[in-house]
Amino acid sequence: MNCLDFKRLALSDPNSKDHSFVEHSKSCPECLKYVGSVRQMDSDLASSLEVTVPSDLVARLQLNQEISQSNEAVGSTRRYAIAASFALALFVAGFMASNQFGFNKQIGQDYETLLSGVVEHMNEQPMTPVWSPERANQDANALLASYDGEMKLKFLQNLQFSRICPMGKYRGLHASLETDSGQVTFAYIRGESVGELLDAGYEGYVTRVKPVRGGNLIIMSRNNKSLQQADKQLEEAMYWDI
Amino acid sequence: MTEKSNESHPGQVNYDMMDKKRKYALLIEAHSQDLYKYALWLCKDKNMAEDVMQEAFLRAWKSLDSLREAKAAKGWLFTIFRREHARQFERKQFQYKDVEEMDTIADNQMGYDDRPEAFALRNALKRLPDDYREPLEMQVLGGFSCDEIASILDISASAVMTRLFRARKKMRQILGHESVPKLGVVGE
Repeated sequence: MNCLDFKRLALSDPNSKDHSFVEHSKSCPECLKYVGSVRQMDSDLASSLEVTVPSDLVARLQLNQEISQSNEAVGSTRRYAIAASFALALFVAGFMASNQFGFNKQIGQDYETLLSGVVEHMNEQPMTPVWSPERANQDANALLASYDGEMKLKFLQNLQFSRICPMGKYRGLHASLETDSGQVTFAYIRGESVGELLDAGYEGYVTRVKPVRGGNLIIMSRNNKSLQQADKQLEEAMYWDI
Repeated sequence: MTEKSNESHPGQVNYDMMDKKRKYALLIEAHSQDLYKYALWLCKDKNMAEDVMQEAFLRAWKSLDSLREAKAAKGWLFTIFRREHARQFERKQFQYKDVEEMDTIADNQMGYDDRPEAFALRNALKRLPDDYREPLEMQVLGGFSCDEIASILDISASAVMTRLFRARKKMRQILGHESVPKLGVVGE
């Protein structure tokens, strides 16, 4: 290979493993310098195109696929859904009438703002991805530690997801727990704590808002049993040294 | 006597679904970062880049069974992305009054290195004709080999070599690197 051929290949494929290309670069300092400058330009160009990839990109791509799959499934079971919605409406009406969980309770402004923020976010993101417990716990601990260096979470085998999310006018930790009685969403939002624990029905959810370490923990579920299970678990896992 | 059913066994269906999901998760984990950088460069807008990516990955999910070899996954995914990008950009036409100014603003918003030398490199890349720029983007951003680029662009490997040669030569001229000798190149 002569210098002309070498430089031509250097511009086409500077990392070529071609034997004669490699040998020529060893024997010709000028060509070695030339291919070095081409590689440097590629490297500089690649660096100039580097960006920070959003940390939740992978989760959002997976979530999008899950939602798409779910929507397809919904389409095929629409008839069953209509029947189920009647049943659900009857159930909710009966449940509200019984007022077991304070569905008719007047909710204060502080609580209302917190709850509406979380519900707004849940409506925008109706499905959360399911991560491995290791990843979900690791992320939750990292996020809590960013709030308060002493905050830790004991390992929760049923923690499925955790991320910092916008929730109305707040941003906070949004996570989900799978319990025997269904999925439970919880959010931890830093800021002025509400005065006392409140259980209330809100937008079709059973909810609990409680002050925790300079912030508020909001737990939401579709049924009381799963909410109680999750709260008990979180108390054991999260409130270790208050 | 066992009656043969036309329907798939539910367990088998679940198994297949799990398998597909696992493949899909690996595809996202392995290639979403490179694809995001490529998408952002092509779309010049974070939201649009993610939108096109989301669509491309959904299409990838739907045709994942057609992907036979894991090593071909990246090229296959980029091909899907490029088609989706072309499809979406057929619908959207942009008019920039001052391209240079818009580019500077866009570069800052996208989070690119804002040093002058980095901007000059990106600007030089933008000034290349499409035919030359595309293979260079794929090699630098995607890390593809000449053969892989040939497969994605559906042209011969020698044509890719020629385009890459011309792209780098032009880049060096724009950037004012030492003069490039006139090199004989076999035409496409």
